[in-house]
Amino acid sequence: MNHEEAKFLLRAGRPHGQDADDPALAGALALAERDPVLGAWLARERAFDLVMTEKLAAIAPPADLRAAILAGARATPAGRAWWRQPAWLALAASVALLLAVGAGLRLRGGAGAPVNFAAFAADDMLHGQHGGAGEVMGAMQVLLGQPATRLGGGLPVDFAALEATGCRTLSFDGHPVMEICFQRAGAQYHLYLARAGDLPAVAAAGPEYAEAGGAAVAAWRDEKFAYAVAGTGGLDALKRLL
Amino acid sequence: MSDETFTRLVDQHYPTLYRFALSLARNQADACDLTQQTFYIWATHGHGLRDLAKAKTWLFTTLYREFLRGRRRGARVTSIEELPPGAEELADVEIDQARRLDGGLVLAALGGVEEIFRAPLTLFYLEGHSYQEIAAILEVPIGTVMSRLARGKAQLRGALTAAAPGAQVVPFPGAERRKSP
Repeated sequence: MNHEEAKFLLRAGRPHGQDADDPALAGALALAERDPVLGAWLARERAFDLVMTEKLAAIAPPADLRAAILAGARATPAGRAWWRQPAWLALAASVALLLAVGAGLRLRGGAGAPVNFAAFAADDMLHGQHGGAGEVMGAMQVLLGQPATRLGGGLPVDFAALEATGCRTLSFDGHPVMEICFQRAGAQYHLYLARAGDLPAVAAAGPEYAEAGGAAVAAWRDEKFAYAVAGTGGLDALKRLL
Repeated sequence: MSDETFTRLVDQHYPTLYRFALSLARNQADACDLTQQTFYIWATHGHGLRDLAKAKTWLFTTLYREFLRGRRRGARVTSIEELPPGAEELADVEIDQARRLDGGLVLAALGGVEEIFRAPLTLFYLEGHSYQEIAAILEVPIGTVMSRLARGKAQLRGALTAAAPGAQVVPFPGAERRKSP
């Protein structure tokens, strides 16, 4: 083995000497021990590698990355949300078909009031004055805008904080509803949140999908909240969010 | 996988995954997206991995695949054969000077290394992945990893030399002799 062959192998060895017992490097390491020129070269290589290791280890991830990862994972629990299991998906598909084709998305009833939560969301998306402010809402917008965030598995919502800090608040059936506008993959969406106890009938049998007038809406619920998300990109785009 | 186990997995690996992503993507936003996407894929698929000891390799491989998938099609990847003759010979950089460089400058220099060498080099410097682990993560032969490490180090040293403000790089002893006719 000449110097160049030895250097080729030794460059692949880690600087703390963790590969001392690696048979593939043993010959090169033995040569470096016997040969002072090669030994000095290896010492310099390792010193340089250690500096690089230390420099890279000092680069800190953004402060909010860990929280965003965990929040995104909680929105997609290990496995799948209960209603994303195949049996429920089949049932949900039939529910969606019934809603979209059978009933359609009738936005307003006889008295001019939205007929259900999905219709309320669609109507507001199409005709409402959107806005809102506050750090809590801003954090939710960031979370909702991230591709890894799945809406259907639960979101880390602090309803009271949203309401208190400037999130746009509407009223449906006499109950407060928060609206959070967000962007995903260049498209605009509107998420409507209400306390689950206030709207017990929303998506009680599973997620509901509906389309009408250029609006598509998905409504669902979990233990804490009733949700509706509305957009203009069609039902498939909404399903990808969930 | 329980929430607690998942959180432990995140805590154990997200900083190094982020650094790896940052070296590949070369901007913070994309690095965050890649890191999150990796854990999202774990949450939806990776929990089926029976041997948690392999989680680290799984995560790095997944992040690298996601990076390759998201990269614009047709992006040029320099093959080893395209390197100019003699590029495998390391340029010398004075170690103390490298030590004085800001971490951001080091990262920028690493970003200047061609991608095909940057990925194994970053893994080498992050937590000291062995060349065998790097080969498993990048799904390339061990010999290829060794070659890319050698050439990547050469490029990195060249980039560091260029990155050092007012660099007066003192060559290693012997370097001048090598360069002399």
